[in-house]
Amino acid sequence: MNTIGVVARVTVKEASRRRLLAALAAISLAMVGLSAWGFSRFTRGAGVLPSGDARASTAAALIAFMFMFSFVICLSAVVIAAPAVSGELDSGVGQSVLVRPVRRWEVLLGKWCGMAAVVAAYGVAVGALEVLVVWAVSGYHPPNPAAAIAYLVFEGLVVLTLTLTLSTVLAPMTAGAVAVALFGAAWLAGVVGTIGSTLGIGSLQTAGRVARVVLPTDGLWHGAIWYLEPASLFDRVLGRGGGRIADPFTSSGGPPVAYVVWAAAWVLLVFAAAVHRFSRTEP
Amino acid sequence: MSSVETAARDVAPTAETDRPVIYARGLTKVYAGGNSALAGLDLEVGRGEVFGFLGPNGAGKTTAVKLLVGLCRPSAGEAMVLGAPIGDVEVRRRIGYLPEMFRYQPWLSAVEVLAYHCDLLRLPRAGRDERIGRLLARVGLSERSKDRVARFSKGMQQRLGLAVALVAEPELVFLDEPTSALDPVGRHEVREVIRGLRSEGVSVFLNTHLLDEAQQVCDRVAVIDHGRTLAIGPLAELLSGKHRLRVSVSGLEERDWIALERFGPWARDQGWAETSGVGEEEVPELVAAMVSAGGRVHAVVPTTLNLEERFLEILGEAR
Repeated sequence: MNTIGVVARVTVKEASRRRLLAALAAISLAMVGLSAWGFSRFTRGAGVLPSGDARASTAAALIAFMFMFSFVICLSAVVIAAPAVSGELDSGVGQSVLVRPVRRWEVLLGKWCGMAAVVAAYGVAVGALEVLVVWAVSGYHPPNPAAAIAYLVFEGLVVLTLTLTLSTVLAPMTAGAVAVALFGAAWLAGVVGTIGSTLGIGSLQTAGRVARVVLPTDGLWHGAIWYLEPASLFDRVLGRGGGRIADPFTSSGGPPVAYVVWAAAWVLLVFAAAVHRFSRTEP
Repeated sequence: MSSVETAARDVAPTAETDRPVIYARGLTKVYAGGNSALAGLDLEVGRGEVFGFLGPNGAGKTTAVKLLVGLCRPSAGEAMVLGAPIGDVEVRRRIGYLPEMFRYQPWLSAVEVLAYHCDLLRLPRAGRDERIGRLLARVGLSERSKDRVARFSKGMQQRLGLAVALVAEPELVFLDEPTSALDPVGRHEVREVIRGLRSEGVSVFLNTHLLDEAQQVCDRVAVIDHGRTLAIGPLAELLSGKHRLRVSVSGLEERDWIALERFGPWARDQGWAETSGVGEEEVPELVAAMVSAGGRVHAVVPTTLNLEERFLEILGEAR
């Protein structure tokens, strides 16, 4: 196995041995169980509502749960990646690895791959489980759950890459705090952009668009929403047809291909910055 | 710098085996902010020797090791390790390193840590278990081989670090304060490991501030301070001709002691006088001078300086 594979494998093992995977599984199962109970109660009690309203409400609730899971995915990515470089170098664990016949970019890519595997596995598992549970309990399934989960995972990978890069510059605690702050700021900038769209304030709209380019987490989250929400249902039930706009929990359109390409390029560019910094780090 | 090093420089390497395993000239490291850790370090380490790298805290010892193993880049100067420029990726297959700050993945067992390093070295799987077993036995961790590192004491982690340093069966091992966390038994065992490495032809670069340790195992030593080599050479040569002489004498006046300063500075205390500047061949002349000045010599006790005394003397001369 090459260096990237060796480092990736030990990174996954770390997540497993530190019981991160078990903890995430336990708490996510509890949350999914809770949502199952909630959806079953709602389905029973919503019999009095027109079927369209009931489905729209179920879809909205599913999006809210997925938002919570996207938050957990992104925060997990931060927790895993924040100590990945500076933490290992500060503690001394990294020194004995870096004197092996390895290139630093290989070590960094191995870590990224291992952490990405953890984030992706968690995102796919929890997203699929939630969709299945809602379908089993209420009979509702979103238009394209696979695409929605892919966007959720992509969002997690963006946060992972950002935090890993910060970890090459900052101490673990600082890298984590900065990553969370940036993630929160990007989400808030998306809300600001929505307000700008609603009220026709161009500068706020621009701020929201710029934020989605600078840190594409909120843009990708809205990509996930787009594939979770039954658009026609929303249009009819909520009366937003034609004039409907986006908000933090709805999406006005699928993400353009160019935006997805940019998000992928963003990951590559930020990772390249991490490699550049790490190659000059002196432990 | 001592003349011993000048002699070493003049040796022209003729073949791979004759080449120094470490060669450094003017190795300099200035950290961001202008803090100079190394200021033109010169040294050579021969194949198969145990080389002691001595210096007070902050002398630049660990920085020098980090430069030589390729963790840091020099600001100036040049250095070769096993015939390749420092930092060469392929040469790292042939070196071992026990860092001063030794920590290993706490979520792995000792066996898993060593297997991880075998993977990083791309060592063949065949015979790997035996190699790891031998190493753990060598450092005294056989019974804890499957325990997680998180449960290890500091001393056990240092033993594991020694095993990690040796897992590649290296030609050159850098040991940075390898006994700092060990009890006397552990220190003795590490010294035995170092002697064993020498008998196997492995070169050892021993970075230590424990002078008795260096005196027990090193073939040659270098003394550095403020990032410069102050003295370098075989231990025997570094200590040879360096005697301390204690003389019990009475009946000498102050003016006689001033005249005796030509043998070296004297420290006097309750009938005993001591100097460190007198060679063995000068003792009869000194005694004769004392007697002719009217002194009565009761005892002359020559002693050879130990490494600690010589070390302090070298530092004193440099400062």
